[in-house]
Amino acid sequence: MTSTLPAVTTTVPAQRQPAPETGSAGRTTPPSRLRSSHSDLLLCGLLLVAILVVQGWNIADYPTLSDDEGTYLAQAWAVQQGTGLAHYTYWYDHPPLGWIQIALLTWIPAHFSPGSMTVGTMRLAMLVISAISAILVYVLARRLSLPRWAAGLGMLLFGLSPLSVILQREIFLDNIAVMWMLLAFCAAASPSRHLWHHFGAGLAAAASVLTKETMVVILPALLVTMWRHGHRDTRKFALTGAITACALIGFSYPLFALLKGELLPGSGHVSLWDGLKYQMTRPGSGFILDQGTGSFGVLHSWLYYDRVLPLGGLAGALLLLVTWRWSVTARSLAGPALTVAILAAVAMRPGGYLPAMYVIGALPFLALVLAGGTASVAHAVLRRWRHEGERRYVTGGRYALAAVLAVAAGAYVVPHWYDGDHTAVTADANAPYRAASKWLSTEVKDPKDTRVLVDDALWLDLVHAGYRPGLGVIWFYKADLDPAVTKTMPHGWKDIDYVVASPTVRRDAVDLPNVKAAIQHSTPVATFGTGADRIEIRQIQRETVGAE
Amino acid sequence: MTHRRDGGNWGSWGDLLLTSVFIAVVSLALFWMAAFTLWWQMHAWRTPEVLASTRFSSPDGDEHVSFSLLLPARHEQAVLDHTIQRLLESTHTDFEIIVIVGHDDPETAAVANSAAERDPRVRVVVDTHEKKNKPKAMNTALPHCRGDVVGVFDAEDQVHPELLAHVDHAFRTTGADVVQGGVQLINFHSSWYSLRNCLEYFFWFRSRLHLHAQKGFIPLGGNTVFVRTDTLREADGWDPNCLAEDCDLGVRLSSVGKKVVVAYDSDMVTREETPGSLMSLLKQRTRWNQGFLQVYRKKDWKQLPGFGQRLLARYTLMTPFLQAFSGVIIPLNAAVALFLDVPVGIAFLTFLPLVTAAVTFVFEVVGLHDFGKQYGLRVRAVHYLKLVVGGPFYQVLLAGAAIRAVWREQRGRNDWELTSHVGAHLTETAVIREDVPA
Repeated sequence: MTSTLPAVTTTVPAQRQPAPETGSAGRTTPPSRLRSSHSDLLLCGLLLVAILVVQGWNIADYPTLSDDEGTYLAQAWAVQQGTGLAHYTYWYDHPPLGWIQIALLTWIPAHFSPGSMTVGTMRLAMLVISAISAILVYVLARRLSLPRWAAGLGMLLFGLSPLSVILQREIFLDNIAVMWMLLAFCAAASPSRHLWHHFGAGLAAAASVLTKETMVVILPALLVTMWRHGHRDTRKFALTGAITACALIGFSYPLFALLKGELLPGSGHVSLWDGLKYQMTRPGSGFILDQGTGSFGVLHSWLYYDRVLPLGGLAGALLLLVTWRWSVTARSLAGPALTVAILAAVAMRPGGYLPAMYVIGALPFLALVLAGGTASVAHAVLRRWRHEGERRYVTGGRYALAAVLAVAAGAYVVPHWYDGDHTAVTADANAPYRAASKWLSTEVKDPKDTRVLVDDALWLDLVHAGYRPGLGVIWFYKADLDPAVTKTMPHGWKDIDYVVASPTVRRDAVDLPNVKAAIQHSTPVATFGTGADRIEIRQIQRETVGAE
Repeated sequence: MTHRRDGGNWGSWGDLLLTSVFIAVVSLALFWMAAFTLWWQMHAWRTPEVLASTRFSSPDGDEHVSFSLLLPARHEQAVLDHTIQRLLESTHTDFEIIVIVGHDDPETAAVANSAAERDPRVRVVVDTHEKKNKPKAMNTALPHCRGDVVGVFDAEDQVHPELLAHVDHAFRTTGADVVQGGVQLINFHSSWYSLRNCLEYFFWFRSRLHLHAQKGFIPLGGNTVFVRTDTLREADGWDPNCLAEDCDLGVRLSSVGKKVVVAYDSDMVTREETPGSLMSLLKQRTRWNQGFLQVYRKKDWKQLPGFGQRLLARYTLMTPFLQAFSGVIIPLNAAVALFLDVPVGIAFLTFLPLVTAAVTFVFEVVGLHDFGKQYGLRVRAVHYLKLVVGGPFYQVLLAGAAIRAVWREQRGRNDWELTSHVGAHLTETAVIREDVPA
């Protein structure tokens, strides 16, 4: 059914005329089927192995387990258990598609070894996502007419930048959303310009947005890509099809809320409206370039790991947007460059909230744009104003200049990246977490009747150790924010036995009275790690209150 | 946290399960039906290459094929002369026009005879059958055809002067046995149903028919269809007892592996008008449906070599009835999901057919825009509105015609219901004629 060529039967459409080309042809047209190009397969395969080794090695121990990873994995666990979309009331904080996918992805290992459903172990599942995304970056680069080496460079930048290595290892919804968005871009840039490929691009884009809602800002850039790759005669069908597909799938989320009777706020239930209101009115983290603001801190944490990809990519995007008129590469990379520009503009909005994982959505596009910019520069150096009878020393000079530039770039990038990636494959940042998990699994006599406040990253460990999920082992902030939990704690902190004070818990306790009180009325019985990163297991001291 | 139904009530639980399974099965069946129909409807626009391939290629000036153009006319004295004159303006150099008139229709015969006197390329054949219909008339004329290719037109058709040259070229360059040109209803502004009717033709001839040609199973249209004379004689002409003799011919020819080529050019289509009233549209549609049903029961399509081809044949010939069924069941299904207490997942499934319906609607709106562009017609906002609002009502009409067709076929009533036409594109009015199935 999907074949666009006529079947070799007695009947074919009357005449086959080549459709006229639109202006999107680059100087290196990719083979119509990448699958059948051996050199593409080989290059992509080798790079993939390198990326998987660097990202996979030591994945459980670095970087530090994040609270958000715990949240999503725990909710994926709840989906697997068939207890709904979360083990606490699902309150429309994010669309649930992201952790439904995590649940599917980890279903088989979790089935055979339920205890493996912990953040450290299940980071391995993210390797699958990383691998798919890395391949899609390569495919997209080729579909956007980049030469083979530049497509490889893009894939390399995307997969091996220390910033990517760290963020892509973590169980973040953004990583999955990026995969879908890359798929949407690949379908939008389909060389066959097929109506249903564009329709599929709309579906993939909707999946991306339903995985992580922030992806919605990228949609205009996707539309631009689709427009550029459409053909005059069929474009209106392709574009409206894609938009319709995206909108219809997108509407399934409010429809879901409607069917559950939770679309609009009301007493006694959560609602999509309230969830949206929460996300839209989150306190801002300040202007990204103002020293001392939260956003500035986030920016610095990115640049700490890698400057080449974020800054180089941004510069590449600006270069491409400025050279739009003259450069073929700039025009064919309009989509990714626009994506980078949009994401940068959104990050720059004053008073907005900038989460640490925000940059994940930009990584593949930064990589593509940087690779495209490099290809543009290489073309300028090697080919521009070159004519048939160019003197040999001039041509030699061109190649010498290119070599010098390549060596200089390598000399700057390689040591930095080596350091970053070396840390990623050797450092052990999670020993305190593992030790705390072990202590709570072995030293507490009756986990079934013990109530512990923990951060989300440790939660599943304790569930596997026999604590009651939800009300026995409790996400610390639920003790203050979830009425279903607080009503089981009539005496506040006195109804708790332990609080595991990880850096996250200590940081957030400031705004959470119950957690704060629990920390104040407890003493450490075990401490793992030192300094700000230490994890304390604190036992609540009820009798001291009576004595006072 | 976990919601459990109160235990013990196995009966109601079983009911719920049954309802859920039923809804899920119906929803998925409807979804796939609509999805396939949509897929085929959009065939021509899949890629720019496919779209380009649906057009006639420009003729090279060489002409080798001679044509016998059949023009069955019954009580069409008002429009016949105009149609003949226009056909005679054709740029092709080698063709004859055979006007077929009934022995009981002297007015039309007079017009035909006077045209024949004026131009030697026009001949008149008299059909003396007691009970008359279009296939009988054409079969009567078939032995008189001298051309290599027989072409069929209707008495009120507006044929482009260069059409024959293009068809000639298509026969020579593709080695086809059959060439089907485009037919297009134009008067979309006449009424809400003519708008939808026009668009049906647009999607059918512009797109879907090309898919059928590609897949090797094609129900032909009633006019602007050209068949090699020897092929037609081998097949014993048209089936005089079939209400959709054109569809039947296409099915029989493609089932034995004849090569059918379809070409559509907006400036080369044969222009027609929609039936003048809702009732005549209903009658016309009933006849087609009944014809499709007859073709289905004749089982010629079972000779098709491929399983996929037979499936496509089965599905295409059953379409009117599936359409009727889905028209009734889609809203019912959604209502069940909304008002009965079924699980959210199942309720979700019931919305799947609505999703495809929505996609179809959107593509129809875009199609209407494209139709306007292709034909240089001004489509206003109110037309888009009519298209969308009229959709469900048109579904009801189609469902009514399908049910009526089944009823008539069961009762053995297979006489021709005549459809009356208002000559909207001509000045004369109120001509009774048999219409052209698409």
